[in-house]
Amino acid sequence: MLRFFLIRLAAAIPPLLGMSFVAFAIVALAPGDPVMMELRAMGIVPEPEDIAALQAQFGLDKPFLPRYFDWLMRAVRFDFGTSVATGRSVMSEIAIHLPATLALAVSALVGAVVISLALGAFAVAGNRVTGVGLRGLTILLVSVPSFWLALLLIHVFVLNLGWTRLVGDGSLPDLVLPALTLSLGAGAGLGRVVYERVRAEKSEDHVRLAIAKGLDPLRIMLTHIAPRILGPLATAWANTFGALLGGAVIVESIFGWPGLGQLILQAIAQRDFPVIQAYLVFMGLIFFATSLIADIIVILADPQLRRRLGHE
Amino acid sequence: MSERTLRIPALRLGIGSGRVGLILGLVLMAAFLALGLSPLLLDLPPPEKMNLLARLAPPSPEHPLGADHLGRDVLSRLIAAVPVSLGAALVTMTAILVISLPWGIVAALAGGRVDMVMMRLADIVMAFPTLVLALAVIGFMGASLEASIIGVAAAWWPSNARLVRALVLSASQRDFVHAARLGGASRMRVVLRHILPQVLPPLAVIISLETASVLLALSALSFLGIGVQPPTPEWGAMLNEARPFFAQAPHMLLAPGLAVTLAVLAFNLVGEGLRELLDKREPYLW
Repeated sequence: MLRFFLIRLAAAIPPLLGMSFVAFAIVALAPGDPVMMELRAMGIVPEPEDIAALQAQFGLDKPFLPRYFDWLMRAVRFDFGTSVATGRSVMSEIAIHLPATLALAVSALVGAVVISLALGAFAVAGNRVTGVGLRGLTILLVSVPSFWLALLLIHVFVLNLGWTRLVGDGSLPDLVLPALTLSLGAGAGLGRVVYERVRAEKSEDHVRLAIAKGLDPLRIMLTHIAPRILGPLATAWANTFGALLGGAVIVESIFGWPGLGQLILQAIAQRDFPVIQAYLVFMGLIFFATSLIADIIVILADPQLRRRLGHE
Repeated sequence: MSERTLRIPALRLGIGSGRVGLILGLVLMAAFLALGLSPLLLDLPPPEKMNLLARLAPPSPEHPLGADHLGRDVLSRLIAAVPVSLGAALVTMTAILVISLPWGIVAALAGGRVDMVMMRLADIVMAFPTLVLALAVIGFMGASLEASIIGVAAAWWPSNARLVRALVLSASQRDFVHAARLGGASRMRVVLRHILPQVLPPLAVIISLETASVLLALSALSFLGIGVQPPTPEWGAMLNEARPFFAQAPHMLLAPGLAVTLAVLAFNLVGEGLRELLDKREPYLW
């Protein structure tokens, strides 16, 4: 088992290198010379020799590949330079905002999983009419944009009912509404996956055999269908988590949740390239780790794959 | 295939729910088309025309959906946004297909090392959360409609290419495709006459569903102020402009949000309806 994990981790190195290259290349190929931009931002009319000196200082006079390796060497030590806008180190900016985004994404994922299992169970257990109704509901929830849903929820719960406040300080009760906004749409999407997988399993012969043997539906659900859909569901959860990391930007901007979304929107407005680069790298890493965990769950959930692993 | 005949089909009560959804989706699409063309027939105030006396005016006969914070007519802006919002989504989807179709087909048919390299490259892009990658691309290009289209297309094509590859792969393993190949049909003919027709129906489902998600992403970016720039009318951007007047003028929020929702719903309904029509499986009943 340990060997498997080591092999799986080693296999992760090429894609990680590729990802780092993408993150670097987007900056390196971006229009505009960062040195000129910074000088202009400071209000200095630069002499050609000043520009050359600054370019040498930042290593910008070197060719593309050596610059990439320099950057990579610093990136593995989590050194992404300083933010152009604030002058603080990019790492400290990320460290301030990352926990809030992670808390939001994780709680939204938990909410989405709960909603999806409930929706899926209702759709499977219910009759034709409830099934059609639930499908309609999920299609509607998937189609509502999160930014509009957030505004509607604020209108109902903050302005009309006054149950919660809009300008929070990042404490736990302030997390409820943003997390709910994200998890409604994601939960509906996942609920469809649950329903689709259960439906696919119900078309399989082993389920027909179980029905013929006279097992009761709940038992078939828990012992024949649930173990088989765990793997695909784990993959769907990981993908949803990636979508939630991205979608968090929208919700954070509406609710004023102090996460990375605020940071990245500011960075885009001010063309703060080091921050954008670090954001891309960190989100990529977190999503990558999530997918890795999902892959491992897929293997552990499948007895055949697990047995093959044991024999190796 | 003989065991298929043993399966007990579920009772079909009249027309299935999928078909109702499909028709509803097509009706919605037609409605948006009509809405987009309506300026040719209706006499609407120009979407940029400001009337400061009508600032934040609630719905009235003069302004059926009210007026915004600059006194512009919400209805005419909503209609002027149809070609922008839907057009951007269709352009993005076309860009995605232009990359992903050849990518997926070549990878599936070439196989071996070419397939592996092409799919690894797609995997690397897919390793980033899609919206995050789109944000990064916009960050480096500067906020604009073009940047958001390029960003979304750059983030969305790999998953599409993967789906195309899977479809082509399963289509190319059918017996009649082998027969055509053995019969001496050229590679081009095999792809165009034998593989593509099999791939098109499931691809239509994917395109419809993906257009819905692309539309959501693009309007979200405009809502964040990093897509379509004011004063261009776009549904997401209209909602963004309405945010400060949230409590005073709720009518500014209702119409654009509903427009995005219904447009996304139309594509989702058509995609799901088509999928259900193509789905031949029947679950066993207990």
